[in-house]
Amino acid sequence: MPFKFVHAADLHLDTPFRGVAAPGPLPGRFQESTFRALTRIVDLCLRERVAFLLLAGDLFDVKDRSVRARLALRRELARLDTAGIQSFIVHGNHDPLSGDTGTLGLPASVKVFGPDWEEADVVREGRHLCRVQGISYPDVEVREDLSARFRRTGDGFNVGLLHANLGGAEGHANYAPCTTAGLGARGLDYWALGHVHTRAEHALPGGGVAVYPGNPQGRHAHESGERGCVLVEVEDGGTRRRFVPVDGVRWHKLELPLSGVGTLDGLVSTALEAVESRCASELDGHAVRLTLTGRGPLHRELARPGALAQVETELRERLAKVHPPVLLESLRDGTRPELDVEALRAAGGFSRTLLDEARFLAESPEELARLWEQEALGSLGQRLKRLGVDVLATPRPEWVVGAGLHGAESLHEEDAP
Amino acid sequence: MKPGLRIDGLRVQGFGRFSQLHRELGPGMHLLYGPNEAGKSTLLAFLRSMLFGFEKNGHPERYEPRDGGTFGGELRLTTELGPLLVRRVAASRKSKGEPTVLGPDGQPLPWERVQDALGHVSRELFFDVFAFRLDELAGFERLTEQRGASEALVAASMRGARRLPEVVARLEKSAGALYKPNGQTPLLNEALRALEDVQARLREAGDRPARYFAEKERLAARSEEQRVLEAELHDAGRELERLGRLEAALADVSALAEARAELASLPELEHFPEGGEARLEDALHRRRSYRAEGARLAEKLATVDAGLERLAAPSPVRGRGEALHLALAAYTERSGLLRALPARRAAVEEKRRQVERELRELGLPVDGPGLMALDLSASVRAALEELATRLAAVETERREALGARMRARSERERLDGAVARVRGELAGLPDVRPAQVRQQQSGLGRLRTVRGELDRLSEQRAELRRQYESARSQGEPTPADVVLPMWWVPAVAGVTVVLAVVTWLLAGTVAGALSLVGGLLLTGVLELARRRVEAARDAGLEAHAARQRGRQQEEERLRSTLAGLAAREEMLHRDLLSAAAEAGMTPVATASDLATREAALAEALEQAGRRELLLREEEKLREGHGEAVREEQRAEETLREAEVRRGTLATELAAHLSARHFPSTLPASAALTLWRDAAALRQRLLDVGAEAAALAVDERACAPVALKLWEEAVAAGLASGLGFSEPGSTRATQAMTAAIPQGALETVAARVSAALDSEREQTAERRVLEESRRELLAEKARLDGLSHEEELALALLLAEGGGADEESFRRRAAQARRYAELTHRARELSQRIEARTGLTEAHVREALREVGGEEGLHASLGTRRARHTEAQERNKAVLTELGALSNQLSAWENDDELARLRIEEEALRARVAELATRYAADRLTLALLARARRRFEEEQQPRVVQLASEHFAALTGGRYRRVFIPTSEERELRVGDGERDWSAAQLSRGTREQLYLAFRLAVVRDFGETRGALPLIVDDVLVNFDPERARGAIRLLARLSTQHQVIAFTCHPWLREAFAAEGARVQELDSTVSTAQPIPAPELQAG
Repeated sequence: MPFKFVHAADLHLDTPFRGVAAPGPLPGRFQESTFRALTRIVDLCLRERVAFLLLAGDLFDVKDRSVRARLALRRELARLDTAGIQSFIVHGNHDPLSGDTGTLGLPASVKVFGPDWEEADVVREGRHLCRVQGISYPDVEVREDLSARFRRTGDGFNVGLLHANLGGAEGHANYAPCTTAGLGARGLDYWALGHVHTRAEHALPGGGVAVYPGNPQGRHAHESGERGCVLVEVEDGGTRRRFVPVDGVRWHKLELPLSGVGTLDGLVSTALEAVESRCASELDGHAVRLTLTGRGPLHRELARPGALAQVETELRERLAKVHPPVLLESLRDGTRPELDVEALRAAGGFSRTLLDEARFLAESPEELARLWEQEALGSLGQRLKRLGVDVLATPRPEWVVGAGLHGAESLHEEDAP
Repeated sequence: MKPGLRIDGLRVQGFGRFSQLHRELGPGMHLLYGPNEAGKSTLLAFLRSMLFGFEKNGHPERYEPRDGGTFGGELRLTTELGPLLVRRVAASRKSKGEPTVLGPDGQPLPWERVQDALGHVSRELFFDVFAFRLDELAGFERLTEQRGASEALVAASMRGARRLPEVVARLEKSAGALYKPNGQTPLLNEALRALEDVQARLREAGDRPARYFAEKERLAARSEEQRVLEAELHDAGRELERLGRLEAALADVSALAEARAELASLPELEHFPEGGEARLEDALHRRRSYRAEGARLAEKLATVDAGLERLAAPSPVRGRGEALHLALAAYTERSGLLRALPARRAAVEEKRRQVERELRELGLPVDGPGLMALDLSASVRAALEELATRLAAVETERREALGARMRARSERERLDGAVARVRGELAGLPDVRPAQVRQQQSGLGRLRTVRGELDRLSEQRAELRRQYESARSQGEPTPADVVLPMWWVPAVAGVTVVLAVVTWLLAGTVAGALSLVGGLLLTGVLELARRRVEAARDAGLEAHAARQRGRQQEEERLRSTLAGLAAREEMLHRDLLSAAAEAGMTPVATASDLATREAALAEALEQAGRRELLLREEEKLREGHGEAVREEQRAEETLREAEVRRGTLATELAAHLSARHFPSTLPASAALTLWRDAAALRQRLLDVGAEAAALAVDERACAPVALKLWEEAVAAGLASGLGFSEPGSTRATQAMTAAIPQGALETVAARVSAALDSEREQTAERRVLEESRRELLAEKARLDGLSHEEELALALLLAEGGGADEESFRRRAAQARRYAELTHRARELSQRIEARTGLTEAHVREALREVGGEEGLHASLGTRRARHTEAQERNKAVLTELGALSNQLSAWENDDELARLRIEEEALRARVAELATRYAADRLTLALLARARRRFEEEQQPRVVQLASEHFAALTGGRYRRVFIPTSEERELRVGDGERDWSAAQLSRGTREQLYLAFRLAVVRDFGETRGALPLIVDDVLVNFDPERARGAIRLLARLSTQHQVIAFTCHPWLREAFAAEGARVQELDSTVSTAQPIPAPELQAG
């Protein structure tokens, strides 16, 4: 009997957007979009008359300590319960069972998997549809391959629900690490995974498939593009998967070449045009990281103290007023000076020594680490890390190269400021 | 030494004060000598600009030409790869100037060729070390003072680091503004503090969801508790209420018991008469009042009887009252008339006298009776009025006739004048009719038209004749005859044959045959040409004949047209004659004659029109005149008739007046007025007579009335007698009346009236008293009846109350009242108890007994109340807690404080990351610069310092032997003489400048050895040197010039000589005519 289900993960309800340094009303408004994404997922379930909904961990961040998130989850799952649609939940590293799981008082049709392997049957209109098995994180850090505890228990369609890092995806903590071979060996038909925020599908040896639906609402510049959940149709043991975007606010990383822009005003209007042309009007809003690239006469003007911040402020204010509103996360200067580095190096002199030194440091981690400590960047980095900012946590060779260029450029300037 | 670059020549097209300046340079040392303002600094700037571009607009060293011509120039260079020509011209006002590089053959080359030759020296290094002025030498000094020698050295001598001190300072300032490890105000410190603050607040907020759910459970537990408490409270409240009611009824219960006991002690008095005591009192009271009323009635009866007795006394008036009354009434009726009689009599006499006086004044010859005899009837007056009216009408008619006659006469005279004026005007106008004049005018117009047409016709005829003549004269000659006669062809053929034979004979067969063939061919060609010419001639002849025919037809047409024109001319001549006759002129009259004639005719036409107008007006005036004469005659006649009628009427009037004794000469209107006045007087005379008669009648009527009254009064004893025994006739009566004094009669009348009134009053009083007595008697009878009834009722009441007498009745009544009161109270108490407790009296007693009586009830109530209050307190506390919990929970449900804090935390994290990145970049750049500087100094400096030591020793004549940089942290530049050492700041100005020059020369040499020999250009840098050291410096320059081109500028003659002594090629710059050095060689060429 064919049936459908929806697979979503990493809701991170009521979690703030990251990387926006400027205060303003938009971040607060956009934070609501995580709720709206969940509402849209539930709307999709109701519209498609699915058999059940899978939520693969990280429904919210324990550290956000949001009551609203728990209430919203309860409210939305109650809608599904009313419609006779089951929900299956496992917890991940951000909402482990050790913390408050927010599952208190959820409707009876919601199955929350415990810290040990469990299996549940999905029965509809008296007919057995499939089996769903899952394990929740007992604590934040789970280094064990939880997928090894899953197994095929019978005929029919078998679904595994797990919050895990498949293949050691970068940018995500390596919790519950697993491999495609390992997953394939478990013999399940569909692995509903969570944890990696970028949508991905992995065909498994043996015919199964492991799917990351990604998070339904991007929350920082690295989570750009469409975000949503996966609608799976099962027929004769095979699956047909369709990604459905549910995000209300979309992130973009835009690059703006400086060539041909002569003034700061021109830069602002060019940037406005570029952003507006890329931001679809049917969404609730957009968040943009704008990087200025290329070489151009404006480079020097932008290097003046405060110039970039001024442009950023003006641009942010004007973008906040367009419809739908656009939140400028940051305006970054990735432009290069009109400086021929190779010629500078060939010319020798101090600049050459400076550039050589920079190259040497970049290629020598020990020297760089020593310099890092010498400049007290290490201790500052420790302090920042305690506050949750890890930008200075490790020495960055590319920064040294940049510093060398910056120095050479400063020495080369014709006019004293 | 590596080959570098040398300037062989320069050409200034336009730069500062120079235009078209040309200088040849070359290897070795050159001195450009010139006084102040000769342009030395300008030339230094020119050389810099040619190699590195013009300065920006507004820079003092941009030196745009003063006359606004071409801005730029050329340099001829020698490089390792051959000669180059560098040309740089500013394209616009702001341009840096695009350089053009040309090779020896004028081929364009890339700019890199020049950069290669310059050893890729940076602009800054070149300006600092290779081409500098005295103040720039001193600029080095400034850096030394401010930053210590090391950085300045690196900056100045180490290529490409001129701005190092500034950059380091800027970076340190920037990094300092971002973060200080122990700072408070830098941006990152502030952001970190804010972040820590936000995180502390987040920690304070605690684990919201955990607390939320814990509180939620507490809320549920408290709700349950509250529910139980609520139920308990309800039960206790009910019990309290029951007991409270019992307590409230306690007093009533005891009062009821007392009432019941007293009731039992009283006799049975249920049937005692209702309100018995009051009724007894009422009856007693009524009996007393009846008795009092009876006494009062008896007293009143006595008074009435006394009054009646008093009225029964005798009176003289009684019995004569009727007669007195009648006499008084008659007198009263006429009393007004009586009083007015004397005055009326006097007034009649006076009127009569007045009328008679007026009659005399009227002027009529009659007295009063005469007037009465006159006939003043209405018919007479009507006749008089009619006569007056007719006379007035006749007079009016006469006046109108006079007016009409006057008007007719003046109209006639006006018309006479108008006729005379018209006639005068007519006599001045000629006697011509307008029709005649108009005919002459039309004749004149036609004459003008016909003459115009004749002129046009003659022109047409002349034109036609000209065409005709030309058509006839155009006859062309027939084309010429044959050009080539026919016989020419055989003749040529013959000659050809003869020539061919001769050729055969002379040159042989071949030549002969050839000449024969050639000749025959020529003959053929000749024949062909002749036939062509023949055909062309035939065609020409045919065309000629066709043209001839066309011309003949044209001639024919023109001739007929000419004939038509002649006929038309004839006709026009005839018209001309007739028109001239009509206009009264000769046909040959000139145009001016015609115009004159036309003007005269226009004037005559106008006069003729005027004459006709005047004639018609005269006719009309004549008619008007006749009419006026007739009108005048009619008016005369009417006047006469009116005069006759007036005479007749006047006669009639006189007769009429004399018949009535009126003066006959009176005019009609005066007679009428007189008549009216006489009639009025007669009327008034009649009125006076009537009045006198009425007065007499009244006097006669009044006399008996007065007498009667007097007699009656005397009879009643109200007046004394007059002495007349019997009244007889009317006259006697009048006499008696006259004897009564005027005032006495009035007095008597008043007395009679008073006596009558008094009599009438006594009668009325007696009637009232009698009536009153009757009523009092009836009232007394009624009172006696009532009193009796009351006695009976009293006896009955006493019997009913069971009392023998009033006293015992009263006692029993008091007991009965108490009985009823107690019964009522018992009922009331019983009802109250039931209302308060909701129980019957028996149940209440039962309940009281159950709780142990009153004491038990109070004790039980006390304990229960205390318990209830306590429970209420508890309930209130729980409710308060419940409210607080709900509020807290709903606040947490809707509160976005945590979300806000988290947003703020993320924003601060982003800001901290951004600031930390910037700070790290600055710190890393600073660290890199420091490391690079140390490395650079270690690797590069020794050679430069060594060279600098050599130069400085040479410059100071061996005074100082070495320059060195100690390895201390200061790393300042010091100089030593072998025994002691000094910092640069401790040196004199000249010596310090020598030190800096020594360093520059060291860098120049080092650069030459490693990169390429570049020219050294110095602008008067030796002026602060003493002559000895200056010569030493020049010697050093001369030595340098063996490898490097040296170009020096000075304005000092002694330096010029010193340079010249060291072999410098001296060129002069003239301050006045610097631009007036036209260079014959117009263009430089590379090489």
